[in-house]
Amino acid sequence: MLEIMIMKRLHFIFLVAGFFLIPVEQLFGAVGCDLNDPDRDVARLFPGSTGFKTEYVAIDQKGGPELLAQIEDRLGDTFKGLFETINVPYTLYEVFKGREKIGYIHGVNEKGQYGGIQVFLVLDLEGVIKSFYFQKLTSRYGKQLRDQKFGEQFVGLTLKDFYNYDVNSGKAIGPSGVENIKNPVPEAEPDFRAALRGTKKNLILVDEFILGNKYLAYHQSRGERNP
Amino acid sequence: MIKILKVAYKNLLRKKTRSGLTIIGIGLAAWVLVSLLGFNKGYESSLNRDIDNLGFQMIVTAKGCPYEAATLMLKGGTGLRYMPGSITEQIAKEPEVEAVTSMLMQAVFDPNKGESGGYSAYLGVDPATFPQMKSFLEFKQGAWFTDPDAMEAVLGYEAAELEQREVGDLLLIADKEVAVKVVGILKRTGTQDDGTIFLPLRSVQKIFGAKDELTGVGIKVKKEADMPQFEEKMYKLPDVQVVSLSQVKQTIMTLVSTAKVMVFSIALIAILISVVGVINTILMSVMERFQEIGILKSMGATAWDVFTLIWVETLILCISGGMIGATLALATAKLTEVLVRQLLPYAPSGGLVQIDLSLIALTLGVVILIGLLSGVYPSWKAGRVRPLDAIRSQVE
Repeated sequence: MLEIMIMKRLHFIFLVAGFFLIPVEQLFGAVGCDLNDPDRDVARLFPGSTGFKTEYVAIDQKGGPELLAQIEDRLGDTFKGLFETINVPYTLYEVFKGREKIGYIHGVNEKGQYGGIQVFLVLDLEGVIKSFYFQKLTSRYGKQLRDQKFGEQFVGLTLKDFYNYDVNSGKAIGPSGVENIKNPVPEAEPDFRAALRGTKKNLILVDEFILGNKYLAYHQSRGERNP
Repeated sequence: MIKILKVAYKNLLRKKTRSGLTIIGIGLAAWVLVSLLGFNKGYESSLNRDIDNLGFQMIVTAKGCPYEAATLMLKGGTGLRYMPGSITEQIAKEPEVEAVTSMLMQAVFDPNKGESGGYSAYLGVDPATFPQMKSFLEFKQGAWFTDPDAMEAVLGYEAAELEQREVGDLLLIADKEVAVKVVGILKRTGTQDDGTIFLPLRSVQKIFGAKDELTGVGIKVKKEADMPQFEEKMYKLPDVQVVSLSQVKQTIMTLVSTAKVMVFSIALIAILISVVGVINTILMSVMERFQEIGILKSMGATAWDVFTLIWVETLILCISGGMIGATLALATAKLTEVLVRQLLPYAPSGGLVQIDLSLIALTLGVVILIGLLSGVYPSWKAGRVRPLDAIRSQVE
């Protein structure tokens, strides 16, 4: 009996010691972008919904480097830095009303001028933006950018509208629904552009992961555009 | 002496199988001995390194003050209590203390976090002492602060990921409207450091208007210090609370002591077995060569000559076995380490089996000593053989 108690005690201590001491780098992967409080946030972002299902998808699992190359081509930019990588697990919320699927919520991390930006989109089943939400925005101009009016400018747009938006120059390179989205503060240009890049990336990922590349037909790669 | 060596060597060759088996027996004992001593050395140094990697094993905070960012968040960014900066010097004077580091934690409300805002925490650390104390922290990018007053930040990996920051980026301290430059991103540690934003202590004191105030002092206690007793001593400081990893440290030290006792017990058994084996082999050899020894003595060999001959035979067996064992231990060190790691419930990081020249020299010394000691009785017995008895036994 005493031995069992000692063994249990030792086991606990090993666990505690292990927590402090064992190198754990291999235990972690990249971190995705989740809703802070999914139950509350889904109900708020998708009024009328009764439930949701969560799915985790990563580019490396779904299609590997080839898929990444296709996503980058559609985005018109490469994935950059330490954290925008092939193995980021994206969290997709499939939203239901009763048994009927009514839409999706999906968020991405984006690099802002003074910190991270989390761009969440509420989409219907066709990939049309129903709502735009900055879950996190570290910016001097957070108040203006998180204003409801700013988010409303995205409503009704689809990935098709973003194809002619060049995320590198921050300019439209053809007819684009993005032209109508106005930056509320000129000084917030870097964060404004990050928000647009995040939205485009978000829509591409949803198209690749869920919508079966419905909007791929509208995409012209750089080579096709400038032969 | 060379003659005796030659004769002893030839004698051993006459019974190749028995000599070979004895050498193998001694070799196995030496192998066990070297491996065990190597394990003891490696295990102890790895555990000691792990203790160092704990950084500080004790934190003294003002009574009621949260000592980590997660607790501060749970308390809604409130509940910070302060201690005067002088407390660090006071604690550093205690004989049990190896090193101390001052810390100041602060939190700000960020209205742009989540739906209704959230808190961000910042830990001010002393650039002169904190990096040394947490020397195990490695950088994914960049390095520690360039100046104690610099408006710079080092981010734990998860904090950097959340803020999407890399070296050279700016990080805004919400509410204070101060932007600091990111100079380092730490690799993952699996501890609370991953989610921490570190700034120089003096910068945090300046930004948050908390001059000469601290929320915590990290203490690295000397290995030999009595942690519970020191903890009691710290509690005598006015209005402080002590958060200690004493149980972890005590457990590690107990593991070291237990390992030592275990290792030396097994080593002792291995030595005893090999001693008995050697005595048995040599004694058998002496008995078999009873007449031969008698003839040697009748031809003029003294008791000392016979004693030396048998003793040298024993030494040859032991040295050969010792060398084979040491080579075997060296060759299988990696394999031993893998096996030990499989068996141990908690194996520290780093090399678990450390075999070096001093250890091999020590083992050879022990094996030679075994040879010298275990050869005494058979050699003495051989030296006492009387030629007449030997001839008589041959006639019988």
